[in-house]
Amino acid sequence: MRHASPLWELISDTFQEARARWLFWGLFALSSLLIAIFLFVLKIDLVQGAVTLMGAQSTSKPIGDIREFVNHSYSWVSIALYIWGTFLAIFASAGLTPSVLESGRIGLLLSKPLTRTRLLLGRYLGNVCVVALNHIYLISSVWLILGIKTHIWEPRFLLAIPISIFIFAVLLCVVVLIGVLSESAALSVMVAVALMLVSTILAQRQVVVRLLSSQWSRDLWLAFYWIVPKVFDLGAAMKQIILYDRQAAWLTPIWTSAAFGIGVLFTAVYAFQRRDF
Amino acid sequence: MTAEYAIETSGLEKVYRSRFRGREIRAVSNLTLRVPVGTKYGLLGPNGAGKTTFVKMLLSAVNPTLGHAALFGRDARDPEARRPVGYLPENHRFPTYLTGRGMLDFYGGLSGMESSERTKRISELLDLVGLANWADVRLKKFSKGMLQRLGLAQALMHRPRLLVLDEPTDGVDPVGRREIRDILNTLTGSGVTVFINSHLLSEVEAFCEYVAILRKGELALEGKVSSLVAGRGFRVCASNVPEQALLEIRAIGASILPSAEGLEIHTATREQANMAIDTIRSVGGLIDAVAASSTSLEDVFIRTLQNGKAA
Repeated sequence: MRHASPLWELISDTFQEARARWLFWGLFALSSLLIAIFLFVLKIDLVQGAVTLMGAQSTSKPIGDIREFVNHSYSWVSIALYIWGTFLAIFASAGLTPSVLESGRIGLLLSKPLTRTRLLLGRYLGNVCVVALNHIYLISSVWLILGIKTHIWEPRFLLAIPISIFIFAVLLCVVVLIGVLSESAALSVMVAVALMLVSTILAQRQVVVRLLSSQWSRDLWLAFYWIVPKVFDLGAAMKQIILYDRQAAWLTPIWTSAAFGIGVLFTAVYAFQRRDF
Repeated sequence: MTAEYAIETSGLEKVYRSRFRGREIRAVSNLTLRVPVGTKYGLLGPNGAGKTTFVKMLLSAVNPTLGHAALFGRDARDPEARRPVGYLPENHRFPTYLTGRGMLDFYGGLSGMESSERTKRISELLDLVGLANWADVRLKKFSKGMLQRLGLAQALMHRPRLLVLDEPTDGVDPVGRREIRDILNTLTGSGVTVFINSHLLSEVEAFCEYVAILRKGELALEGKVSSLVAGRGFRVCASNVPEQALLEIRAIGASILPSAEGLEIHTATREQANMAIDTIRSVGGLIDAVAASSTSLEDVFIRTLQNGKAA
């Protein structure tokens, strides 16, 4: 006999909980606020003024310079959305893992014919889907607004969607692990945000390594750099890609961050398997 | 192959260890239990006896330290072993953002039911537990008793062959209790095994065919309810009995309960009753009344626990 997919039920339940707890609508409202700010900025012709200024100053190659200016704008906007979206998503998601582990709720879920791995993954994927929808809404809306206003449609700007979702998915692994170990939403947020900041500091390795006096401290810095997800590097790579920089180093931040996320999620599943509820 | 037992455990043990101090708490110890298919089985014990830990080990919410548990002959750790099981936990916390219908649909889906099957079954069950008018109301508006009835519907959703109910009538008014018992009685006629963990001895006595009593994580007594409560005994009411005499009375196998006027001494045989009376009179105690009595499950329960204390 074919059975219904419990994974889908778990994803759908996470959606329902995010909606009921106003997390989904909160994200949507804050994204809409950001979109409204964009509309306001464009309404006062800040961009048009800058475009005009660029055209007037560079009469020899005005079109190329305007395009470059718009691409620069796109790249900075993508970075802003990347940081804004990731921060908001982490805050919104922190409570979704501990809530399912509450006594009286988890016992019933575990009595169903599904593995603990599937239960945790269902919650994780549901959480990713909630945030992915918001990122798609936010970034594509800003892309549409910029395109309509400047008549320059830069499809590479949309790369911010998968990259933002990817880095959120990696950080969510940390949120899930801390949630499983401590059942504390606040601690999950603290660790994930700290990881983002640490990633930014560690990414300055080329400068720092030159300043460090001993070899072991340089090695330690680099070891941490390779272990921690590359939130900063991925943002920088995304910016370069939007600027058509063929030298953009995106592959290494992707696979090292993915390896970190998989490792952490695996640990979370292992800890979840061993726990008594 | 059809399994003979719905639940079968051998040497099941759970030891909780504190992470830093290394202290051990033995919640369940060497528990071997067999629940025949199609029976109504009650699990009793005082608070902290290990009843809930035992149930949680059966359903894989708690990992056993030692021993083995099987559901219908299948290792309880295998998720498929839980497919024929319906469970109503104690102190449940159903997602309050769901409606009654949504909650049954969600848990039915997790149990592997197809959508069309669920839709049909939800209507049947909401009628059965008297919540048809509340189908589309969010659970946060439900009373404790209504949540309990909905929880029972949830446990019945996928037509389980084994129902595990942890305090099923908790928070339910007397009429509701009677209704729940009637629903459960109709199920047992259809071959469903019902395993109840309850504090309400009178309910277990009225409903269950078999009973097990846990004491400090160990199986203290197991048997058919009809056999356990069949024996007639004697009740001696007394007062002014010194502590030393009580110890002697306990030593002959009698159980002693405090009463409004003094003490109630329960014995299984006439000889024990006479020995207890002789002991009381020899130390200047007063006999207030002597009467023959039948044994209730409560008497059996208390005697079992007191024997354990004496031991």
